[in-house]
Amino acid sequence: MTPTPSDLPEAAKRRLSQGAFTSGLSVSDFAACLEMGLEPLGLVQGFCAMQWTTFGSFGRGVTPFAGSSSGYVENYQCPHGMISSEHRMWGQNYEQTWIENSWRDGFNSAYSRMLEEAGTLGAHGVVGLIDSEGPLSDVGVVEFHLSGTAVRVLDAPAPHHVWSTYLAGQRLAKIFEAGYAPVSVVSSVASVRVLSSCITEYLMGGTGAMWSVNAETTEIEQIVSAQNESRAIARSFVRAQLHGDALHGASMTGLTREFAQGDLEIQSRLSGNRIRRFKDFDPLTAPRPTVRLS
Amino acid sequence: MSNPTNDLPQATEHRLEELEKGLFTSDLSVNEFLLIKEVGFHPVGFVMGSSIYHTGIQTRKWSQSQELTKLTEAMYNARELAMNRMEEEAAELGADGVVGVRLDVNYYEWGKDAAEFIAVGTAVKAEDGVSRLNQLGKPFTSDLSGQDFWTLRQTGYMPQGLVMGTCVYHIAHRGIGQTLGTTGQNVELPNFTQALYEARELAMTRMQDEAARLGASGIVGVRLEEKSHQWGSHTIEFLALGTAVTKTSEEMTLAKPTTIISLDN
Amino acid sequence: MSAPVPEIPLDLRAEVRRAVASLDHESRDSGSMTSDLSIDEELNLHSIGWEPVALVSGVSVFSVPVGCWNWGQGEIAVASAAQAHAFHHAITRIHTEAANVGGHGVVGVHIERLVYSTHIEVSLVGTAVRPVGAGAINGSGIFVSDLSARDFTLLMIAGWEPLGLATGASFVFAPRRSVATVLQQQSQNVELTNFTEAMYSARESAMERMQQSALAMHGTGVVEVKVVEGPMRFAGHAVGFVAVGTVVRLAKTTHQLIHPTMVVSLNDQNVAFDAQTLA
Repeated sequence: MTPTPSDLPEAAKRRLSQGAFTSGLSVSDFAACLEMGLEPLGLVQGFCAMQWTTFGSFGRGVTPFAGSSSGYVENYQCPHGMISSEHRMWGQNYEQTWIENSWRDGFNSAYSRMLEEAGTLGAHGVVGLIDSEGPLSDVGVVEFHLSGTAVRVLDAPAPHHVWSTYLAGQRLAKIFEAGYAPVSVVSSVASVRVLSSCITEYLMGGTGAMWSVNAETTEIEQIVSAQNESRAIARSFVRAQLHGDALHGASMTGLTREFAQGDLEIQSRLSGNRIRRFKDFDPLTAPRPTVRLS
Repeated sequence: MSNPTNDLPQATEHRLEELEKGLFTSDLSVNEFLLIKEVGFHPVGFVMGSSIYHTGIQTRKWSQSQELTKLTEAMYNARELAMNRMEEEAAELGADGVVGVRLDVNYYEWGKDAAEFIAVGTAVKAEDGVSRLNQLGKPFTSDLSGQDFWTLRQTGYMPQGLVMGTCVYHIAHRGIGQTLGTTGQNVELPNFTQALYEARELAMTRMQDEAARLGASGIVGVRLEEKSHQWGSHTIEFLALGTAVTKTSEEMTLAKPTTIISLDN
Repeated sequence: MSAPVPEIPLDLRAEVRRAVASLDHESRDSGSMTSDLSIDEELNLHSIGWEPVALVSGVSVFSVPVGCWNWGQGEIAVASAAQAHAFHHAITRIHTEAANVGGHGVVGVHIERLVYSTHIEVSLVGTAVRPVGAGAINGSGIFVSDLSARDFTLLMIAGWEPLGLATGASFVFAPRRSVATVLQQQSQNVELTNFTEAMYSARESAMERMQQSALAMHGTGVVEVKVVEGPMRFAGHAVGFVAVGTVVRLAKTTHQLIHPTMVVSLNDQNVAFDAQTLA
């Protein structure tokens, strides 16, 4: 099951070798699991603490960043023809592939450790997965933390790969009923750095009107482009992990960080459940509308 | 009724005596009350236990990640005392168990390094007169709500006890040299990963040990809480909590849910 | 409570085994559908013959001259315009994305709206949906709605259809009171009529603009109107009113009654929408 040499700490192995099951599921989710024939084996988790700085974010150089071979880059030229040390001669959006890659490393390490714990228990899948990532006590350390409940499907052989899902309980039961099998959780982060052009900076500073006669309010193209692009990148990362399967129950969130005036990072994070259809959809009868008496 | 070995205060004895005359108090909602009746239990009284504990000080090494065993012990013993007293109250009432247990920690201004650990819940008794005490001959405890208790009974499981494990851990500070970064890259810090792993796994193992003593077949609703209390950000208590359960019947009586669309907001 | 409609019992355990076993075989095309809907919402959609297609989004940021928040009178026209344009562009983008993936509409749109002293941002995320297996349609027929998939389902069952998002915004200055007036009113209980009037008319014009956009879509109603109002964090004397709702129209000839069943719930938490266990 686990071809890679185990990197689980001793304490984890000791815990997992004990008899009784543990489950992070609520009682109703636990009951639903039993109903589905999923036997809870144990709460499994995985961590990865990463050194985290915004290094490589060297900020603004003398000339625009050449860009990595694969990432998104967009350049903005100053239309004013002014040469002055106070005037931005150029602006640029570029994808910070190294941030995206480190994030993926952290998430994947924690994820594979969690699967390794599940493998130790002889689990077939992990349900009710919870993920979090955040700064740890020290500056410059980010911890990725994943946990879930490992389960075994009663009267079924072990699958080639341990499957996983954020779902549990009735929601998971309905996924099966609707004709889907959970494959894995998928998650990605896109990071776009914005070094403002002169126009962007004036507009973001609220002084854009100085540079154009009539436009009192205008769309800030460079920011809009970075925002829409980072969302597109996050979605393309996830799509690349689907291999023809579907993404269910996704959530997409955005985060903007300002390092200095005219220097921003725009992040988009997308995560959800990769699921696969195993039978044709059998539409259920229209649900009964109810009104609660209270 | 009076158990010579118990250490409950006088006022408690008095309150409990009143409850034995047939009045019950509980912090259950009406819904929970009805559901508990539905599975053959009757609430007998609101019970609590408390312990004010002085947590000692332990020196920590600045640059070393380690468990602070003295603090771990203090945090564990204090909760255990509060829980035991709550169980004693329940036993006084002839209860079979306690549901809806909440564990809290309060800090008061007057007590430096002292904290009050409180356990409260509603004691319940089986209506068929058959004892449901756990393997240790004590009332079972659980943090399940009335709804959860009902649902769990439908699956053929019975709670045995609220089990917990704790581990107070000091996480090393990083030296200036280290912070500034050796490689200029976002890379894993294996020592940190290991330390955090170790701390949480210890807490969970201890919780499982408790469940094993109760002869439980599993633990449901496991929560892992992380708190720094008043120790500063580098010292963290990892507390694992859950309800240990055993299977008492093969029967699953959970009805197939009906799909509805609620028009309530 | 009436007995539930008898259903052919599905052997859930066998289904789970079958599902999991399928993971080891070649994957069958799941259509690369992406959605942020819950399974309940997806099942609801399917019950009326619709399906999710893809997660879509649209963002727009419009600049605001920083000086516009300085003390003035009446409406802050440029801020109102920036808000209106930002809505319009973000909606156009999510609409275009939906058209590109063959959606007939977008449901459950999360609207995030941020107002800064120098720019106004609107970002939208939702799931494009279509009748099962349907081909792409003309762009003008595609709706964008912040109704949840569940509300969309109920609305369709009742014979109505969503047409799009109606929005209206109005930013105004709170009127000034002279020092003498402030002193004079200090010890009295009086209505500050000019304040009442200013706030009243600002709220009215936001609603009016929203209604205008609904009429432009040939809607006969706007449901789930949410009005967000309050002073700006960065300029307390400027107050914003923003109204958003989904434009609807009767699609069938008459309204269809849905005849709800009454239930008593034993859950304490108010689960607003979920398939629940009724024992």
